[in-house]
Order: sequence, then C-alpha cells, then structure tokens
Amino acid sequence: MFSSPNRLLATGFGAVYVLVGLLGFTVTAGVPFLATSNGTLLLGLFQVNILHNVAHLIIGALLLICGLSSVSAAKGMNSGIGAVYLLLGLVGLFLVGTDANILAINGADNVLHFGSAIVLLAVGLGADKPAARADSAGAAPTRA
Amino acid sequence: MSTINRTHVAFAAVGAGLIHLALVVGSPPPFAVAFALVGAAELVWGVAAMAAPRLPLPRVAFAGALLPTLLWAAVLLAEVALGTPAAGGAASLPLLPLAAASALGLFCAAVLGVRLRRSAPPAPRPAPGAARYLVGLFAGALVVASITTPALAATEAGRYAHPHGEHSVVVDPHHGDHR
Repeated sequence: MFSSPNRLLATGFGAVYVLVGLLGFTVTAGVPFLATSNGTLLLGLFQVNILHNVAHLIIGALLLICGLSSVSAAKGMNSGIGAVYLLLGLVGLFLVGTDANILAINGADNVLHFGSAIVLLAVGLGADKPAARADSAGAAPTRA
Repeated sequence: MSTINRTHVAFAAVGAGLIHLALVVGSPPPFAVAFALVGAAELVWGVAAMAAPRLPLPRVAFAGALLPTLLWAAVLLAEVALGTPAAGGAASLPLLPLAAASALGLFCAAVLGVRLRRSAPPAPRPAPGAARYLVGLFAGALVVASITTPALAATEAGRYAHPHGEHSVVVDPHHGDHR
C-alpha cells in the first residue's frame, strides 16, 4: 500500500475524514440536523452541523474502504470524489442568490476542501497508471 | 519537468480557471463572455495536465496563460487613455480576484516558458516515491487553495455564498410575490 500514492491518499484522507466526522459530533451535541449556525467551532476553526458530520463520515468511509482494497478502487474513488467536489463548487458559483449555492468560499474549511479536491483529482488521474491497468487486467497482484 | 512541478502548474491553472468563472457573475457582458471562455479553457487544460504524462499543448498554454493578464492591462490602459467612465469598465472589476488569477496565470506561464526554452524534451526522470509525491502535492495545493479561496470570496458569486455549517432549508417569505 505504501508504494501506491492513490491507496496512501485514500486511506489517509479516509481516516482523517472519519475522525473529523466523529469529532464534529462533539461540537454539534443538541444542535439541529440542518442548523443554520453553530457557535462552537471544530478545532477552533471549522463550523459544522450534523449534516456536515454525516457527509464527512460517508466520504471518509468510502475513501478508507477503497484505499484498503486495491489501487484501481482507490484511484477511481479519489478521482470521483475530487471531481464531485470540484463540480459542486463550480455549479455553486452560478447558483447565486439561491439556497442551492452550496459553494461556501469563506473560511478555513473551504481552503481545505478546495485543496483536498485538487489533490484527490490530481492523484486519481495522474498516479498509479500502469498499476491500475495491471489491476483491472487481473495480471500482477498489487503490492501490499 | 518533475511530476510534482507539473501538477503544481495544473493546480494553478484550475485555480485561475475557477476565479475567472466566478467573475462571470456580476461582470458587464463583454467581460463576462471573456471570463467564461478563459475560465473554461484554464479549467479544462488544468484537469488535462493532471491526467497527461506531460503538460499538454505547451506553446498554446504559454500564450493562454499570459493572455488574461495582458488583456486586463491593455483594457485598463485604454480606458485611462480614452477617459472611459469607470462604471461598466475594467476599472470597476474586483481587483483581488483578477490579481490572484493573474498571479496564478503568470506562474503557469513562467514554468511553461522554462520548459519551452529547452531545445529537446527532458530525459524521463524516475517517478518520486509515493510519500514525497503526496507531500509535494499537499504543499502546492495548500498554496493554490490559499490564493484561490479568498479570491473567490471577493467575487460577486462569493458574496452570495453560504459559509459552511449553514446548509439549511430556507422558506422564502417572498415566494410567489413576483410583480
């Protein structure tokens, strides 16, 4: 696993997102599912609500499972989640004035989200190409 | 060029593309069209650069990376020379996003320029180890994200954005009240 950037990234990010999702519940106790604001910030920086925590848990679990399984699964999930993040942000730019404008482009968490999106996309698209082809062809086994 | 450097250029192109696309909202129509075309091209090229084994179309990309900054400067100078009113002109466009997009574009142009000066394609370098590759990418992504995110927030689109933690169902009291 440690020789594959995709598996390393998916496993690492997955574990971090699951942890962040769980930690988020410590600052959203008693807060409604879709709270419009939350005075307590996670790690003093990031504002979350319960929906956000659940999203972090789901994304983290998907990345972790794929990172622990194979190079092609990790590569696919990294590319997919990176692309979804970027597309959501892009679409959100043009839904101005509506509540569907989910691109939150103020705050520390958004720097992290945008940075995460482009790293996921770059590694998913750019790394592990020969290994992923061998994987899907069912040829050489992936090195653990 | 190393894989890490190539990916940093791709990040910068994606960042510049998003900023230019965000500037479409709220800009006068001629500028909005230009921002849409430039932003879409930068975004597509940046994603292609992540997937391809080398930077795609380096000569075209070099010119394309310089073009937005040069056009912005040229239009500003023309407005000053002709005494065009500021409202609806280039001088009324938000400075921070344009400056940030220019910085990212100039970085891409600089790296592409160095690449183009080589008379022959560089000898293939061994791929970096996975950990070093990821650390290099994280560092580049953090720098680009730290420039791009505040620039996006300073656009018209950014002013309507909801901060994280505030996703909710909103009942619009004026719904159906169109006159």
